[in-house]
Amino acid sequence: MTAQALQQRDLAVVIGLEVHVQLETDTKIFCGCSTESADDEAPNTRTCPVCLGLPGALPVLNEAAVEAAVKVGKALDADIAEETRFHRKNYYYPDLPKNFQITQYDAPICADGALEVSVEDDRREIGIGRAHLEEDPGSLQHEGGSIETADHTLVDYNRAGTPLMEIVTEPDFRGPGEVRAFLAKLEEVLEYLGVFDASRDGSLRIDANISLMPADEMADDGSVDEAALEAANRTEVKNISSHKGAEKALAYEVTRQKNAVERGREIEQETRHWDESRGITVSMRSKEEEKDYRYFREADLPPLQVADWKERIPIPELPDARRERFREAYGLDAEAAAKLTSTKEVADFFEDVADRFDAGLAATWVADDLLGELNYRDMTITDVSGRLDEFARLIELVDTDEITEKNAREVVLRTMLDEGHTPEEVVEREGLGKAGDDAVAAAVEAAIEENPDAVEDYHDGEGGALNFLVGQVMSKTGGSADPGTVNGLLRERLDE
Amino acid sequence: MSETPVDPDEVRHTADLARIDLDEDEVERFAVQFADILSYFDALDDVPEVDAEADLVNVMRADEVRDGLSQEEALRNAPETEDGYFKGPSVS
Repeated sequence: MTAQALQQRDLAVVIGLEVHVQLETDTKIFCGCSTESADDEAPNTRTCPVCLGLPGALPVLNEAAVEAAVKVGKALDADIAEETRFHRKNYYYPDLPKNFQITQYDAPICADGALEVSVEDDRREIGIGRAHLEEDPGSLQHEGGSIETADHTLVDYNRAGTPLMEIVTEPDFRGPGEVRAFLAKLEEVLEYLGVFDASRDGSLRIDANISLMPADEMADDGSVDEAALEAANRTEVKNISSHKGAEKALAYEVTRQKNAVERGREIEQETRHWDESRGITVSMRSKEEEKDYRYFREADLPPLQVADWKERIPIPELPDARRERFREAYGLDAEAAAKLTSTKEVADFFEDVADRFDAGLAATWVADDLLGELNYRDMTITDVSGRLDEFARLIELVDTDEITEKNAREVVLRTMLDEGHTPEEVVEREGLGKAGDDAVAAAVEAAIEENPDAVEDYHDGEGGALNFLVGQVMSKTGGSADPGTVNGLLRERLDE
Repeated sequence: MSETPVDPDEVRHTADLARIDLDEDEVERFAVQFADILSYFDALDDVPEVDAEADLVNVMRADEVRDGLSQEEALRNAPETEDGYFKGPSVS
């Protein structure tokens, strides 16, 4: 379609993704080198003849990477191939010491899956065409300038050979917001599976294909005719590394393409690089087409027949199912259920305390108090992983009436987070233990004795008098009495 | 010796993919040599077909860390290094 023809018509956005996720294993995909990276590690300290591509070295597949791939396939409701194999993708670039990347080509381990996503109030099903295993390249530093002006390159192969899964979606996205929602959901599912760590640098990398099509060529159900999509020029945007980045990069690219069309210009079929710091996409020279990669069978790796692993390998309850179960089992509303299943760690913690204490109390404490106070401090549950038993004990102190909810919330929880103390230490130091029955009774007696005027006002029917007396008792007990109990005790005594 | 050399553009493209600079003389010489090399594969036509049977499947190892190379060992064959990195020409 010519630029002029497009100019006259309403345009719709069509996006498909290739998402690379790093699988959490102890060792690399084809050798026994550790994948445990540290921010300050020295370069080229986690390598061996296999991941350095030294002559004669032979790759041997990591069983844990295959298990992780099967789990991902299962969670995406994909088919696990009866037989899957590896190919060499040939290209000359120093991030690959072998001059080829071991990946999968015509027989990926997973095919034909889907992931359901909520976008605003809509449920959308995003098709997963395939998902395959491959090795990560090494990392390059372009020294003495930017990628275009550098005068030499420094290469570190610590990352080379880290197991990756490339998940390829169908062109099912109709806007950048859907992409962001999908990526957030995908991360959530992968974390539930325990095969992915979002906090790891570079653990999620995204390439996006984006095209504009005449809106009237799209069916009412939003599906796209393949030939029409093929006819539209698309750009591939590379170097996106987060779901927020994806939304920004694609919003930029949609605007850029629409502007081009409005000015009557062709959209060039090209690869573009997302420059996160400048917030723009930049055209990248790309000489290779698929045939130039000269894919051929990796003869050093025998085929895999692991379709039966799908039955054998269990996966945990996934977020959507857990959300539904929480709503029913604990009587939660949609918002609370969503918060309490936002990560597996939060959900596991909630379930633990909800089963031991009052479920409603547990929900408020985990969803509102704990997550709220963590969020306020720019922290997440992973920052306090080692202290979850302390928070459970705090909830127990409230559940068993040892301290008031107000003190627990406003003093103990905040001090625990700010100063790192245990709940017992804070209660002890601040003297917050709920006053014992005797102490409260004594305070009630004293308040009545010391305030005869208020007692008289109470008997005259003045509503404020009781509140005044409750306040007196509360101050005598340093706020550690339960106001409801004090209220009851006072009435009992005064109405005798 | 083959009669019809490979198209020089094919040679240039292949050289590009391999990041090798060829001058025009070399392109011509390689066009002839490429054709020779490709003709060697004609010998495969004379090989009787046999059923290839993959006898090995599911060869995997446990996810256990094994000692690899030290930084010094890893860099030992590199022509140029800097601060523990392999050093090479700029690439884009």
